[in-house]
Amino acid sequence: MNYVLETRHLTKIIDGKEIVSNLNMHVKKGEIYGFLGPNGAGKTSTMKMITNLWTPTSGSIQLFGEESLQTSYHLSKRMGSMIEFPVFYKELSGEDNLKLHCEYMGYYSPNCVEEALELLNLTHASKQKVKNYSLGMKQRLGIARAILSKPELLILDEPSNGLDPAGMKQIRDLLKMFCHEYGISILISSHLLTEVETLADTIGILHHGRMQNEIALRDIADHQMIYIKLISPNTTHASYVLTEKLHITNFKIMDNGEIRIYEKSVSLEEISNTLSAQGVCIQELKKKSDTLEDYFLKVTREEQKKEEYVC
Amino acid sequence: MLKLIHLEWKKYHITKYIRNAGILIFILILFNFAMAFWGIANDPETGIPDIAFDTMGISTNIEFCTNTAFLIFSSAMHAVFIISAYKDKTMELMFSYPIHRKKILVSKMLAVWIFSFIALMTAKLFCYSTIGFGFQFYHYSAFPIDMDLTAPLFYLGLTLKSAAVICISFIALFFGIIMKSSKAAIISSFLLVILMQGNIGSVSFRDNLMMPVILTIVSLIFALICILRAAKNDI
Repeated sequence: MNYVLETRHLTKIIDGKEIVSNLNMHVKKGEIYGFLGPNGAGKTSTMKMITNLWTPTSGSIQLFGEESLQTSYHLSKRMGSMIEFPVFYKELSGEDNLKLHCEYMGYYSPNCVEEALELLNLTHASKQKVKNYSLGMKQRLGIARAILSKPELLILDEPSNGLDPAGMKQIRDLLKMFCHEYGISILISSHLLTEVETLADTIGILHHGRMQNEIALRDIADHQMIYIKLISPNTTHASYVLTEKLHITNFKIMDNGEIRIYEKSVSLEEISNTLSAQGVCIQELKKKSDTLEDYFLKVTREEQKKEEYVC
Repeated sequence: MLKLIHLEWKKYHITKYIRNAGILIFILILFNFAMAFWGIANDPETGIPDIAFDTMGISTNIEFCTNTAFLIFSSAMHAVFIISAYKDKTMELMFSYPIHRKKILVSKMLAVWIFSFIALMTAKLFCYSTIGFGFQFYHYSAFPIDMDLTAPLFYLGLTLKSAAVICISFIALFFGIIMKSSKAAIISSFLLVILMQGNIGSVSFRDNLMMPVILTIVSLIFALICILRAAKNDI
């Protein structure tokens, strides 16, 4: 498989504490990889190791098919990144900050600064000192800087911070465009799961420094994510009919009395007709699919339970 | 490397430092001139300088004033160019570029060193020249004129001493980096001034030729440690 980024048993220990543990992740060329995890899961630490700001305690990072070492400075030329929050020389204008970035990256392309500013709607503020920028403007300038040198891999840590809904949508559209039109691979971390859901091709869920699951978003549907929701005042009777008359065993009764039927071979009409025929009152019956949020919570809670069990 | 140094000067608005150094040099010239010819250091009763007149020539005065001023000045520049860069995380941004970390740190240190060295040399040359020029008119100085502006050795000594003083600011930088504090760097520079000019009993560090040599060697070792730490440590 052609991976742009691959980590193998990546581990980072700080002061005896394992921040990232045995992490294996795979980012394919030209895909958007959503990096999910609760606060303190180790997302930023992983990104710092990938961008060579931190040295791994053990394990390795493969970038563009080459092992990334502390001295692999040439690999930085092929990456654009924005880790934690964007930092700038505040006394310089937005435009000067981008020009400076080009100089350090050794990237020279006519009008690239103007184009990047225009893409991020910052042309009007290009001459303003960065110290006068709002948080959202700084965030957009950070993204403009990250894409400025047309990197092959873009690493963005919580890029939506400080953006309003319109700004978030604009960034999402831009990232999709970079990915589809320029073939840029993107590794993006976000705590906004709906954002990742609409953007990512693959997600990696990190919890307590460990990779819980790495899965293509389209494959989540195959992991019992689509179900039929049934609400009835008589849950016991309804579940009896489902088991005895429809021979469905793959269902679950939730705490709120809702029944989730995961069986794919049975249709809504069949369930509706059978339940009605057996005198079961139906308050709600519809097809539903779990959101990424449900999936994320399920995965992280399972891990939490495992840890509590071990303790 | 020259390009990196140039970018450092550009980022931190070197024109601002040129202006500040210019003002400082002007004040130093005025101060030394006033001490030599206008008698501002003289005791009103005796009419002679309040300080050890018989042991101090004008060059001691000029050296003390300019060295002190620019040791603190260069430490303040280190605080802005390097220590603040760690604190405001622009160093993290620098280390994400395809440039060796050692090279980045060396360029920052050299940007400060070159500027401060030129400024100190300029300050000294102007101070000595104005004193020499003033003596042509006043024919008297409160301090003995103990310099020979025509001797090549005078300029060699001036260059070496200036280079050593600015190097010593690396010690202040080291403490600033270790303590992650700009204030620590500047306070260290004041302590270094005391160390260079002070006395222990009857032993004067000012007259001790070995003191600047030892401090310069120590400062170069500290500079090396700063560079190696930056290359190795996580940021």
